[in-house]
Amino acid sequence: MAQNEVLLRVEGLSVAYGHINALKNVSLEVHRGEIVVLIGANGAGKTTLLETSLGINTPNSGDITFKNKSISGVPADRNVRAGLCLVPEGRGVFASMSVLDNLLLGAHHNMKNVGKNLKRVYQWFPRLEERKNQVSRTLSGGERQMLAIARALMSAPELIMVDEPSLGLAPIIVNDIFEILVHLNQEGYTILLSEQNAYKSLKCAHRGYVLETGKVTLSGTAGELLNDPGVREAYIGA
Amino acid sequence: MQTFIAQVINGLSLGSIYVLLATGFNLLLLVAMIIHFAYPQVVVFSMYIAWVVLRYTGNSIVLAVLAAILSSVLLNLISAPLFQQVMKNREEVDINTTMVLSLGIGMIITDVLSHGFNKGLPIAFPSKLIGETPILRVGLISLQGGQVASLAVGVLAVSGIFLLLYKTRPGRAFRAIAEDPNGARLVGIPLLRTGFESYALSGVLGGLIAVLLAMLLGYSSPGLGEQVAHKVLAVSIIAGLGNLVGGLVVGLALGILEALVQGYISGSWSNAIAFVVMLLVMLFKPRGLFGIKL
Repeated sequence: MAQNEVLLRVEGLSVAYGHINALKNVSLEVHRGEIVVLIGANGAGKTTLLETSLGINTPNSGDITFKNKSISGVPADRNVRAGLCLVPEGRGVFASMSVLDNLLLGAHHNMKNVGKNLKRVYQWFPRLEERKNQVSRTLSGGERQMLAIARALMSAPELIMVDEPSLGLAPIIVNDIFEILVHLNQEGYTILLSEQNAYKSLKCAHRGYVLETGKVTLSGTAGELLNDPGVREAYIGA
Repeated sequence: MQTFIAQVINGLSLGSIYVLLATGFNLLLLVAMIIHFAYPQVVVFSMYIAWVVLRYTGNSIVLAVLAAILSSVLLNLISAPLFQQVMKNREEVDINTTMVLSLGIGMIITDVLSHGFNKGLPIAFPSKLIGETPILRVGLISLQGGQVASLAVGVLAVSGIFLLLYKTRPGRAFRAIAEDPNGARLVGIPLLRTGFESYALSGVLGGLIAVLLAMLLGYSSPGLGEQVAHKVLAVSIIAGLGNLVGGLVVGLALGILEALVQGYISGSWSNAIAFVVMLLVMLFKPRGLFGIKL
């Protein structure tokens, strides 16, 4: 695997909401072809890190580079155009819109290849094709998560950031979702994942970072983290 | 019976103008996330522009329509950065501030109209635009060109907007922002630019409304915008803020109700009755008859 090229680099990133420091001097790297997982409890700063990388928040200090270009302060729509995308926490599916409309929203900046991409996405998620004219509100939680991932794929991304995909889903469905992510990774997509479910996510990731109250406290290969006593105690419960 | 039919026809044509106004107002509310009270004032300003163009071009209706659309689009696009700047400074959508800003814009427009045109006196539109002789007359029932036009353009414009909303790329982005602005941003929809597009669209709509109002009323005055603004607000609130389908039904219904009041009681009561209806709806259905869609 060509894991040398750094696709996303976060260096010394600090983000504050008012007086609350959500991220303090966070650095991480995602190489092309990897699945990297951010492990952390609620409020550790995972969502802030992903949203700031996408261009939703402005960093107080530090730098974010994507494909060797600084993207700090670049608005989200331009980053999406450049190949970055986010599958939001809680899916972020537009409930009153049809499945197809949701997919087309993902292609907002990539309408040229929309037919080809739709076909590909339907191959991966046949159920979405069956339900393309259904209002998304009628989908199950797992189907919504698939729709959110499929929508991200419609933008032809190079890096897919997935925020807590397992949140609120039944364990069997969570397995399906992780399987899909691994499959997408094998197809060539680079994935940055945030998860509270450390065991399952580390099982499918290459590397991981542990985020605690806005700071990276530990990082390593997935195997190292799985065997780390601290991680096992705090996040796996073994 | 004849009075009834005549007043229903009047009401439908007046109502379709309310529908168009409520649609433009709701688009701005849903996509640009502003409460644009002064939208009807923008429309009335465009009526004045159409009037000026009619005078100086020997009553060229085509040019008047174009000028009305242009002026309303321009006014909207000029005010857009003002609204957006307020939102940017506060880093959030602040509907209350936009409301006050819009009221201010409305007052400025009203003042400009009362000082800059026709010494502040009401203006009358030429009969070539209004159409002097009715197209059809049966007893008390007469059908004026302006009435037919406002209904026809109303139907066309509203279907056009629904087509745009449900079948096109910008329409999809509009609906996404209307449902969940933050979610739309996460998907990569640029909020400000898409909002800007909605200013332009409601501007085009505003220009059309200006011409239709001129045809239907035959006159305009600096105070007209404010009167109409109250009605549009009533329609939107009765229907449920941001509810396009609701605006369609309630706009027509209010137009008919008003015309009936005019025909059977007195025109001067029509305003009060619109607001009595609004207060009753607020009392029993605080989210409007069709529900708030924000």
